[in-house]
Amino acid sequence: MDVKEISFSYGKTKILDKISFSLKEGKITTIIGANGCGKSTLFKLMTRNLVPTSGKIVLGDKNIRYIPLKEFAKQVAIVHQSGNEGSDITVRQLVEYGRIPHRKISCIKMADDDKKIDWVISVTGLDEVKDRQINELSGGQRQRAFIAMALCQDTDILFLDEPTTYLDIRYQVEILELVKELNKRYGMTIAMILHDINQAVHYGDEIIGLKEGHILIQGKPKEVIDEEVIQKIYGIHLPVRQVDGDIAVLAVGKRDIDTDKQ
Amino acid sequence: MDKENTGAKIFKLEKAEIKKVETKKNEIKKVEINKAEAKKNEIKKAEINKAEAKKNEIKKSALKKKGIIRITTAFAILIILHIALIFISVLAGSIDTGFIKLFRGLFVEYDHDIAIIYDLRFPRIIVSMTAGAALATAGTLLQAVLKNPLADPGIIGVTSGAGFAGVIVSSFFPAIYYQKPLFCVVGACVAFIMVYMLSWQNGLTPIRIILVGIAVEAVFSGFTQGFEAMAGSTLSGVASITDGNVTLKTWTDVKTIIVYAIPGLIIALLTFSICNILILKDETVRGLGINVNRIRIIVSFIAVFLAGVATAFAGAISFLGLIVPHIGRLIVGNNHKVLIPYSMILGSFVFLLADTLGRTIAMPYEISPGIIMAVIGGPSFIMLLRKEKNYGR
Repeated sequence: MDVKEISFSYGKTKILDKISFSLKEGKITTIIGANGCGKSTLFKLMTRNLVPTSGKIVLGDKNIRYIPLKEFAKQVAIVHQSGNEGSDITVRQLVEYGRIPHRKISCIKMADDDKKIDWVISVTGLDEVKDRQINELSGGQRQRAFIAMALCQDTDILFLDEPTTYLDIRYQVEILELVKELNKRYGMTIAMILHDINQAVHYGDEIIGLKEGHILIQGKPKEVIDEEVIQKIYGIHLPVRQVDGDIAVLAVGKRDIDTDKQ
Repeated sequence: MDKENTGAKIFKLEKAEIKKVETKKNEIKKVEINKAEAKKNEIKKAEINKAEAKKNEIKKSALKKKGIIRITTAFAILIILHIALIFISVLAGSIDTGFIKLFRGLFVEYDHDIAIIYDLRFPRIIVSMTAGAALATAGTLLQAVLKNPLADPGIIGVTSGAGFAGVIVSSFFPAIYYQKPLFCVVGACVAFIMVYMLSWQNGLTPIRIILVGIAVEAVFSGFTQGFEAMAGSTLSGVASITDGNVTLKTWTDVKTIIVYAIPGLIIALLTFSICNILILKDETVRGLGINVNRIRIIVSFIAVFLAGVATAFAGAISFLGLIVPHIGRLIVGNNHKVLIPYSMILGSFVFLLADTLGRTIAMPYEISPGIIMAVIGGPSFIMLLRKEKNYGR
């Protein structure tokens, strides 16, 4: 997927200004940025929930705007930020919805649907809870169920909008490891917005840093992230350290400023 | 010495060989025993596994069966009650009649009293049932597509839009009385489009729909009431709509309401898969390649149509479209495949019950079903809510 010079404005306020990048096939791209930098808008544009004011997003050789919705759903699966989607449908039923783009009539099952659904449920580790209702699940399980639904769409590209929000750290890591496995084992091209800088650095093959509607940095996390960049993106000085060959941003404020002074 | 020695040696060798053979035998036996045991164990394990799997399956199917049984009983009880209610409703009223007299009058020989019952009570009963079913279904569909538990054709102004159109038609153009349902549907659509467009702001938020809906409702019912005051409330068509009563219905009304409502109800039954998937967030549904706005408009139109038709015959009834779907959810759950038909029957039952009570408890005066529903329906719904503590959280 190539994003070509897209801009977006709400009324007179410009949210995104001529952004261009391409998602590398078979890689994980993470997108970071401060609140209000336009990353959610970018996500909405990439998932066709908004139309750019100018510029275009190209998938294959077509502008995604002109790809029929159903066709798009066969190529790109999306996991939106989970809200309060409490409901009494079972995990299996939810996952089954992921087959809809492949069906001629949306409520009639196709021959290989069941096989695919079972496979996806086992990949996402939902076997034990597959007959449970969505609103009985823990936050982590629920997020995995929505990822499972997206996987059931059988696409090459997967987009995730802050998949770890509202989750305890254990579930955060669990979800990110699952995403990594999907990339490594099944070669999915993945783009995700992440709040946590360290997770974005660790799990991203590529990282894109947004600031005020344009791209500030783009590249391999280890090469592009440093204290100066963090300062620019988030407007706060945070120490960046080397830990076991990886970089780590110490996401705590005052104490570090004090120790820096000493 | 040598001989002895060799003899002893041979003996020793023999012994050793015997020992060897024995140990071999033993070993083979052991291995065999081990193998046999392992096999036994495996078989046992497999059996245990199978048994467990079977148990689990039985458990699962039992759970499923439990659900199915619960739903079938719910339907059975409701249908039996409904049939009983229809009989009571036919028999009850100012003309006293028994079952046998009724049967004779209807099928055997002419009976003056029964003829009156046939012309007055039967149409009224059928109109009440159909209107109730239509309103409850409209409520169920609106709640699903607007993702709003408070969505009800009464609250968001759809029925008062329809009511206003009905009042205009019955007072200015009494000649086109039989096209009245069409005009009511148009009025309902106008009100709904107003609510939809005025509350739209980068999407629909539940609160905005309700707020705008209440305002639109107020405007239309204000118009209707003002109109009634000016025209004098003697016009029976106007009174029927503003009071929400179903007196003086004829067989022509029955034909008209059935022609309009039955197709709407059947289409409504077919929308269950759309209603089910709309439990998810709009973006998620869109991500599955479904044009959310299109399906929402189609289903909303069916709901608005049904509410408009019901209003044309039974007046601006509120509350029923709100409460019945919730009672339905409490009893049969959220799956619209089951919920839509259940709400339909329940709505028909509730309306007929309200009308029957209304015309019998204070004979010879009549209390409109709207009032009965408010007075009895409200408290019973609260009781049900108190019982199901997890509902609506």
